[in-house]
Amino acid sequence: MRARLAGAFAVAALSVLPIVWMAATALKPPGEYVSGSTALWPRAPTLMHLEALAAARVWRLGLNSLVVTLGTTLVALAASLPAAYALARLSFPRRLDMAFLVFILVVKLTPPIVLAVPLYQVLRGLGLLDTLGGLILAYQIYALPFAIWMLLGFVRDVPVAYEDAARIDGAGTARILLDIVFPVMAPGIAATAILVAVAAWNEFLFAFLFMQSPSGFTLPTAIATRINEDETLWGQLSALGLLASLPILCLVGIVHRALTRGFAGGLA
Amino acid sequence: MGAARLRLLLLIGPAAAILCLLSVYPLARLLVLSFTDSDHGLAGARFVGLENYAELAASRSFRVSARNTVWFTVMATASEVLAGLGLALLFDRAFPGRRALTLALVAPFVLSTVVVSAVWRAWFHYDIGFLNVALRSIGLPGVPWLFDPDLALGSIVLVDLWQNAPFCFLILAAGLRAIPPEVTEAARIDGAGAWRRFRDITLPLLAPYLFIAALMRSLDSFKLFDKVYAMTGGGPGNATETLSMHVHRLAFRYFEIGLASAAAIVMIVVAALLAGLYARALLKEGAR
Repeated sequence: MRARLAGAFAVAALSVLPIVWMAATALKPPGEYVSGSTALWPRAPTLMHLEALAAARVWRLGLNSLVVTLGTTLVALAASLPAAYALARLSFPRRLDMAFLVFILVVKLTPPIVLAVPLYQVLRGLGLLDTLGGLILAYQIYALPFAIWMLLGFVRDVPVAYEDAARIDGAGTARILLDIVFPVMAPGIAATAILVAVAAWNEFLFAFLFMQSPSGFTLPTAIATRINEDETLWGQLSALGLLASLPILCLVGIVHRALTRGFAGGLA
Repeated sequence: MGAARLRLLLLIGPAAAILCLLSVYPLARLLVLSFTDSDHGLAGARFVGLENYAELAASRSFRVSARNTVWFTVMATASEVLAGLGLALLFDRAFPGRRALTLALVAPFVLSTVVVSAVWRAWFHYDIGFLNVALRSIGLPGVPWLFDPDLALGSIVLVDLWQNAPFCFLILAAGLRAIPPEVTEAARIDGAGAWRRFRDITLPLLAPYLFIAALMRSLDSFKLFDKVYAMTGGGPGNATETLSMHVHRLAFRYFEIGLASAAAIVMIVVAALLAGLYARALLKEGAR
């Protein structure tokens, strides 16, 4: 028992150590982090890196990230909720539902870089290259297959009897969805939304390829471009990393619950 | 069209339309591009047949990136599933503070890969990185984590392990919870030791979860891009160049769209084979 506890503490400490290091480095003057000491906590804490970020108006990039995250989540839910309901409940001609699910799996396993080349040309053709709307659209390639797959399990858990009762009372499909099915599966919808949002907030490849003007960068793109600028500009880099991580770390309990719910709902 | 068909179309139409626009059309376009010498779009591109594929087959850099990708996928998947199994077993019994420690474990997994790469790149710094400073402080020599071509990809596996072992941990913990305690209890009463209970009961019952964890992790490792881009840029030399990096380089640096498309098609085929292999294994497992 004691050994188990010690082991659990040790791995948990190893797990958060790099994150603690990042938080501490964000508050260290440059002299401290290039001095070659393993001291984690800053001796003379400073806000200079955060101030430098504020001066560079980094909050605008945070706003880009936020817009893309919310937009991606809303669009994904709006499209995937009805689709998941149809796949779970309605009969499709010629097993088209199975075909659709296989298709979704294929999309899910396609490496994003593979789609990047032709998607770039599609977005350019639609005039959506270098726009947040275009990025939100491109993110559906990750978000939709994931959301449909996860929501499918939650729709199946809604008792059919509820729907039948409403149908006898004369309710149409839209009424049934909005008044009965969605409220009953609300925790599942919330879990799905959280995971889609986290993935969109963290995404790098498409943001990096499709948003070319620096004013349209999301936080991960801003971090990646800074990594290569100066090899040891760690204070600002850590401060930026901290800003990009704090919202998610604050929600880690909710994210964990969403993941657990997802695995129980047959996500894996 | 009947009312039922119309309803179906309205419900699934938007999702299907978006996915077609974002995947079916681009994939078809990709396939066509892979048979051309395009450097931009389809306009003005010349049909060259299988020339791009032949060029890839003969290309040393493509072979190196394929080998690196396979090596990384195998090493990352194996280490993450094993570590996840260890963590799931460690956290399977209730103890004070378990929930908080679980969250500490999950934290790296929810962070952006770019943030993770930024921190670890700093940690791997040869002169003043946290790891080498710590090693030297206990009298050991520093390790050229990202400078040594023989070590660099292994160092990236280490980062991937730190970030993604929690994912395997969550899946396998769910698997352990699904094993009824009576089963292991009965074996204990019959005199089976801890190792035998693990080998003959826990492991077989956990097999489908191990499969899923390995499947998800290998499909994801196969796509490796962000970490390499942010930590080594594919170097030193091409020691950490992966297929994703290679396609990116061909398409967005050299504008060899035709060649990049052919490489992308090869990637899809390999990913599909990988998934198919797992699907067959899963079906067999289910049939037993």
